[in-house]
Amino acid sequence: MNSFPEKTFIVARHEFTKTIKRKEFLFMTFFFPLLFAGISILPAMLSGMNPAEDQKVGYIDLTESFEFPKSIQNEGLSIGSSETKTSVIEFVMYREISNAKQALQAGQISSYLVIPEDFLKTGTIELYSPEKEASMSNFELSSELSDIVITSLLEGKVDESTLNRVRNPVNIKFYNIGKSGESSERSIADIFASFGLPILTAFLLLFSIFSSSGFLLRGVAEEKENRIIEILLSSVTPTEILTGKILGLGAVGLLQIGIWLAAVVFGSGYALPVKIEPYTLLFALIYFVLGFLFFASMMAGIGAVTGSLQESQQVAGIFTFAAALPLIFMQLILTNPGSPFSVFLSLFPLTSPIAMLTRMGVTAVPISQILVSIFILLISVYVVILLSGRLFRTYLLMYGKRPKVKEIWKNIRTESR
Amino acid sequence: MYLILMHAVEFENVSKSFSEKNILENISFSVRQGEIFGLLGPNGAGKTTLIRLLLDIIRPDSGEIRVFGDFLSPAAKNRIGYLPEERGLYKKTRLLDMLVYLAQLKGIPENQARLNAESLLKSLELDQYKNKKVEELSKGMQQKIQFLSAIIHEPELLILDEPFSGLDPVNTKTVMVRILGLRASGKTIILSTHMMEQAQTLCDRILMLNKGRRVLYGPVDEIRKEHGKNSLIVEFAEKGNLNAIREISGIKKIIEHGKSVELFPEEGISVQLLLEELVRKANLTRFEKTFPSLNEIFIETLESVSNE
Repeated sequence: MNSFPEKTFIVARHEFTKTIKRKEFLFMTFFFPLLFAGISILPAMLSGMNPAEDQKVGYIDLTESFEFPKSIQNEGLSIGSSETKTSVIEFVMYREISNAKQALQAGQISSYLVIPEDFLKTGTIELYSPEKEASMSNFELSSELSDIVITSLLEGKVDESTLNRVRNPVNIKFYNIGKSGESSERSIADIFASFGLPILTAFLLLFSIFSSSGFLLRGVAEEKENRIIEILLSSVTPTEILTGKILGLGAVGLLQIGIWLAAVVFGSGYALPVKIEPYTLLFALIYFVLGFLFFASMMAGIGAVTGSLQESQQVAGIFTFAAALPLIFMQLILTNPGSPFSVFLSLFPLTSPIAMLTRMGVTAVPISQILVSIFILLISVYVVILLSGRLFRTYLLMYGKRPKVKEIWKNIRTESR
Repeated sequence: MYLILMHAVEFENVSKSFSEKNILENISFSVRQGEIFGLLGPNGAGKTTLIRLLLDIIRPDSGEIRVFGDFLSPAAKNRIGYLPEERGLYKKTRLLDMLVYLAQLKGIPENQARLNAESLLKSLELDQYKNKKVEELSKGMQQKIQFLSAIIHEPELLILDEPFSGLDPVNTKTVMVRILGLRASGKTIILSTHMMEQAQTLCDRILMLNKGRRVLYGPVDEIRKEHGKNSLIVEFAEKGNLNAIREISGIKKIIEHGKSVELFPEEGISVQLLLEELVRKANLTRFEKTFPSLNEIFIETLESVSNE
């Protein structure tokens, strides 16, 4: 039996189980979905909506010309897309304002409306609610009242379709014109799916690549710093350690991405009905795998060469900064995705995963550019794995002072012979 | 073929250099199966490099290394246990998990590794700590764990680089007993150490390195005989006996060491005859033919090499 893949698998499994138990991993993995959930649910909460809460609203119609329904179903802002929850607003008529006031103070009604005699002239309706109660809870009433007013004023005077048009005058639909002139309808959800999600995915990828390759850097630096690396090397080859670590932490990254994407799909489906296109997912996956291999191998090489965790993080910071360039130039990529600089960032291996996915989110990137970008990334991954493998073999057991760049280069060349 | 099988390790004209500096020069030696082999030498002599070459962690520039009669294969690596001088453990990992992982890397199936780990921990009365993180253990316990991690897969060849460094006398004794027990069960042990007293007690044969070169090699007893000063240590019941001894012919020099006296017989004088003469002249309480300790030989050899 060939023990090579077996030991690589043991290293990979060890790295995987060790990392998913780390507090940092758990925080990163579950903080983002919570943040996302917070962002999507918070606005609905802030709007004061509590869909399940029914309310009684009193009214005094001084014009005596309005016909209030006994109650209305309210379908305003709600949380949850699959089943729209509704609340019921029950209208209670009062002849005297003082009666309504007493009912409000007694808590029998949540608020009351006064339609003044001069309503037709001023268009003003007065709404009274208890002190300190968020007036936003009555925000929804406005549109419902408009409907009641329109119906009361126009019913019987105009036909049903005119009445409906007055109630709901404009309904904008979004269309895209393709190159061959065909048009396709786009909903708000589609726009968010094609624009927002790839960018969100790019961000998540970047964070996952950084955190997973960061764990790798940390693992190598720690093993070197606490000298257990020598025991490992007496059992497995540097290549087995390197491959095992990359596979194990790659799986950690995929798990993290999986959890995040599930949270995005669940969260976005809950707040805004969107779906992620398989096309986007495919490229996200390709860029994740290649981006991770690129950074992870680089971090392994850095971890092998440097003498301590602190030093390794300083050196790695330089490359991390370069990789974060698309974030710094995000506005440029979003507003001008076809500019030479945006194209450069989406081809340069350090920045291509996030830059290309962002560009793909805002514009139709020529497939040739995508393929060239993937090809460059593939070649870079190969070169970095090769170099890191050599650094790994040469420097893992050299403790103390960090070697000079010239010396490292010389050793890489010697190893290749 | 038979001879090859008798050797656990063979080095043949092995050289290694780093950055054009010779770390090991033309080293040849062999380690027999079932013996405790001492690897001695001052700091920077090349001991750790030699061990790393043996374990195939680094490759030699020239020469041949054979382990169990062949070039080191991944399977042969599983038959070796290693306690490095630079100690290290996964500080944040549970003790049992770490031992199981290290055993698995030596090709032991997980279930067996768990059984081995639990039984070893029990034998050192450490089983109550098996679910603790390594960093929660005392330094002494961590050192014992380090030793366990080297023997958890029941290796046929055990390489111990400075196994006694940092150990208190009690733990030193525990480790020594373990080492002797392993040899008794037929294991081969390579012991790299500065502690000559332990090396002298434990080792069957030694290799002494200095600046990457072989300066001494062979069975401990023979080396001690070769370096013997041919002197005798004697003690008497009464002080007056010393004057009587001075009258004995055939003794070229007498050195007093407090209670005892060291006698240097002239060339060709039989120790047997000298003893008979001494018994006639004085009331002897001690008579001992001495050999220099490994420590004396170590210092003497290094001094003579540096004078060259």
